[in-house]
Amino acid sequence: MRALHRNKLLAFAVAFVALQIILALGAPIIAPYDPMAQSVIARLKGPTAAHWLGTDQLGRDVLARILYGYRTSLIACLLSVGAALVLGGALGLLAAYYRGWLDRIIMRVMDVLFAFPVMLLAIGIIAVLGPQTYSASIAIAVVYTPIFARLLRGPALVLCESEYVAGARAIGASDARIIFLHILPNLASVILVQTSLLLSAAILVEASLSFLGLGTQPPTPSLGLMLSEGRNFLMLSPWSALFAGFAILFLSFGFNLLGDALRDTLDPRLRGQP
Amino acid sequence: MNRALLTRLFDLLIVLFGVSIIVFLMIRMIPGDAVAIMLGANTEITAERMAELKSRVGLDRPIIEQYLIWAGSALRGDLGTSLWTGRPVATEILIHLWPTLELTFLALLFGAGLAVPVGCLMAQLRGGAADVAMRVGAIAGLTIPSFWLGIVLIVVLAQVAPGFASLGYVPFSEDPVGNLQRMLLPSFALALPILANLSRLVRSAMLDALGQDYIRTARAKGVSERRVVYKHALRNALIPFITSVGIMTGYLLGGAIVVEQVFAIPGLGRLILGAIAERNYPLIQSTILVVTAGFVLVNFIVDALYIVIDPRVRA
Amino acid sequence: MVKATLRGGLCAGLMMAALSSASAQVLEIGMDAGPTGLDPHLITAFPSFMVVNGNIYEGLTAVDKDLKVGPGLAESWTVSPDGKTYTFKLRQNVKFHDGAAMTADDVVSTIRRVQSKDMASPLASRLAAVETATAVDPQTVELKLKEPSAPLLASIATIAIVPKSVETNKDALQKAPVGTGPFKFQEWQPNGFILLSKHDGYWGAGSPKLSGLKFNIVPESATRQVGLTNGQYALLPNIDAATALQLKGKPGVKLGETLDLAYTLIGLNTSKPPFDNPKVREAVNYAINRQEIVDAALFGAGVPGGPLSPALKNWAVDVAQFACYKPDPAKAQALLKEAGVAMPVAVTMNVLPRQDVKDIAQVVQEQLNKAGFKVELKNQEQGQFIQDWRNSNFDMFASINAGSPDPDDYFYRTFRTGGSTNVFKYSDAEIDKLLDGARTMQDQAARKAAYDEVQKKLACSGPVAHLAYGTLFSAMRDKLQGYDVMPNRSLGTLRGASLTP
Repeated sequence: MRALHRNKLLAFAVAFVALQIILALGAPIIAPYDPMAQSVIARLKGPTAAHWLGTDQLGRDVLARILYGYRTSLIACLLSVGAALVLGGALGLLAAYYRGWLDRIIMRVMDVLFAFPVMLLAIGIIAVLGPQTYSASIAIAVVYTPIFARLLRGPALVLCESEYVAGARAIGASDARIIFLHILPNLASVILVQTSLLLSAAILVEASLSFLGLGTQPPTPSLGLMLSEGRNFLMLSPWSALFAGFAILFLSFGFNLLGDALRDTLDPRLRGQP
Repeated sequence: MNRALLTRLFDLLIVLFGVSIIVFLMIRMIPGDAVAIMLGANTEITAERMAELKSRVGLDRPIIEQYLIWAGSALRGDLGTSLWTGRPVATEILIHLWPTLELTFLALLFGAGLAVPVGCLMAQLRGGAADVAMRVGAIAGLTIPSFWLGIVLIVVLAQVAPGFASLGYVPFSEDPVGNLQRMLLPSFALALPILANLSRLVRSAMLDALGQDYIRTARAKGVSERRVVYKHALRNALIPFITSVGIMTGYLLGGAIVVEQVFAIPGLGRLILGAIAERNYPLIQSTILVVTAGFVLVNFIVDALYIVIDPRVRA
Repeated sequence: MVKATLRGGLCAGLMMAALSSASAQVLEIGMDAGPTGLDPHLITAFPSFMVVNGNIYEGLTAVDKDLKVGPGLAESWTVSPDGKTYTFKLRQNVKFHDGAAMTADDVVSTIRRVQSKDMASPLASRLAAVETATAVDPQTVELKLKEPSAPLLASIATIAIVPKSVETNKDALQKAPVGTGPFKFQEWQPNGFILLSKHDGYWGAGSPKLSGLKFNIVPESATRQVGLTNGQYALLPNIDAATALQLKGKPGVKLGETLDLAYTLIGLNTSKPPFDNPKVREAVNYAINRQEIVDAALFGAGVPGGPLSPALKNWAVDVAQFACYKPDPAKAQALLKEAGVAMPVAVTMNVLPRQDVKDIAQVVQEQLNKAGFKVELKNQEQGQFIQDWRNSNFDMFASINAGSPDPDDYFYRTFRTGGSTNVFKYSDAEIDKLLDGARTMQDQAARKAAYDEVQKKLACSGPVAHLAYGTLFSAMRDKLQGYDVMPNRSLGTLRGASLTP
């Protein structure tokens, strides 16, 4: 009974996320208007038959901008979390596999980066890079690298000690072979769950940074930016900011639910932990 | 136990040293001439003005010397002076610390306080539609952008109860009612994700605990259900709870930056954002250092508590 | 729970009522950003200017709400026939906030302070013409100039007189200002508020009427608006059209407006292709539809602008006289063809990070792209923008500049070959000659003729495409009386303002 529930939830989460990814990827086809096309006369309008979600301060279609915004936010977050996963994961595995001084150096550096509150480090990095299109992505990647390193080092350590890996070593498998064929596949579920959860968080961080004017820059449509621009016109027309906020919520929610449901399914022991 | 604590204390010092280096380098890695950037827009910048500023900030010395001077005086409690106002950075931080502390404290109180009953309720309602609904609700609470929620709250409340929506900040000591009135919305906006997170934690800890042998034993011995839940099961939830609260301080700080911006609360987040906007580098570097050090310390204390509470960690 | 909250709210409401009757005459002002310092000779940002100008400090002369220069701390002055000696008669009974009387010595030390290399004041160039300042007697100051300077009286309006004791002190005034103005500094909670209180020894009879000014720093636009509509703030000064539009017609709220002296502009780098070619610069002007910019980005509240603000009624040439101000994308394309550049002309536009400028940049991008350009926007962080601006590291940029009451201040440093803010590397012998001449002219009509010539030449092929002058609004509660919006964003008219119960 409960397993069924769990799978239903997972199916829903997958469908929900997939839908949003399809919307994002299909933006050029689905979007009813060019997200950059301005029309001063039709500015700051509420939902109408022509503009389902209304228009923004320059008369651009909010629906089109949200669809493209999904794209921007998704790409930014996938890139940054992906980069953090590769870099942090590699460091975590190396540390776990080779132990000794390498472990100590890597993990101390990771500790230092991990010591910063996420937003604070991201803001600091952007202060250095200047708010260009990819600054926020780079900042998020840097901030999440130690998280992945620490996340994967623990389970990897356990695996390295296991008889299974010892056996592989005994038959003369190379380090790379052991890491890629024996350790990594066993970490797949942890990686999948955490990536999904961190994507959810990354979407919020990217939105917060854009809100503060430090993330994606105009005229590129981005959800956080739409909210940030729309908030200046709330009393004239709240639609742009309102819908952009919902879009951020849905996207972040989808990935979080997915991570949660995946965790339930893949690793029942971890149920319900944050 | 002392050994475990000492190891962590040693780690703490290394981390703080690393943090100070990163913060220091961050400012100096800014592309171009930081001094030129510090000066304002569309004004005439003379060579004298540049040189004056450079020597005032100490950027005209060798980089190692700059670090030693900065770190040395920071250790002695001298965090430098704010570039434009000439006030000590330590004073600026102290002024801005209280609103942020109050905000985080209230948000934690809200979030953690409500998390226990909500989590217990969730555990009791496990399975079925109510469980799924609460779970979805919790995730929604976790992923709602707090700055967006804040703005929506302000605008909605201004329509519904225009008299109640007081903005800004007054110290508690000056006007306790006005203070709480102003802090209610921002701390609520900030507390929601904490509530969502902690209540799920309480729920799973409860479920775990209720399935354990000793609880069954307690039940079998005729201990009341209430006592089972609160005494035995909750204690089980305490350790992950405290750990989470430690991790949450970091989140709270990040959340506070945007929430302070929305609600016009003069806290640390505003201090840092303002310092970045006005290129006040001495202020930025010392404030980030202090805030991060505080964050590291909180986590250290959480770690220490963890060691004290859970004997297994001592090994 | 609900009940308790309600009671709390009620209780707070009563307390606020009690408080507000006690301090009814303190004007609560909502500002988007706080000042970065309060030393009038060092600050450059608008928020600092708005707090100190005319409230804490005053100059020898003063600019009124029509930008006319009149008496300030000097009640009268005479100019020698050769235009090189100015003699100022100081007002009697002027006291600094610390109680000391203001004398000619303070004026002389103020001028030395601004000119000193050590202070490195950004205002130094305004006093570039002044050779010596001497105190003839405690109430008389004499300025000797190197050469006649037509803009001098307008320039010294911006030089705040400070006590002689701070002549070499760079820090004191930044945090605790002392001036002669109607309000004196009381308290500063950074990122919270700045409180000024009434200066009891103020020379102006009967003013100020308010007992204080409280500048609340509220970064979020929606929050400021709610604060004004619910009566917590009584004034949101110098807001843009979008904000004004949102507050228009709200109960208890009224709007004040004037034409802004600040202008939005597109800067073009004339030191490298494609904008080294005057034809390409002219094409930009034809491609831009200024009325559309006003409608789109300024919500219709503003006017297309030439090199000088129409607010400067005595100086500005009517834009109808500039041929290139009639939008004509086809003509722009033709000019680009004539210039022989490859189309579309790919250029990058640096954008100052302000919402209005970002909006304008997006509109201009659309317009230029329709006329043979291919513009890429580069939204920069403020510091980076300024650095690229200063190093002439740009193809084109979108920005907003504060204007000056006298044409010389803007034109000379911006368009003269080698001018201190001539980041476009623009150089034109004819313009140089006109600017050099107009600077020292005594005859107003001749001077006006020279600047007319300059404006006409600059309008179409100069290094700056001037876009628009917005309407500057202030939103306030009905009970605020006697405050006028000033084109230079000064809040100096608050000295005559009062709150009716």
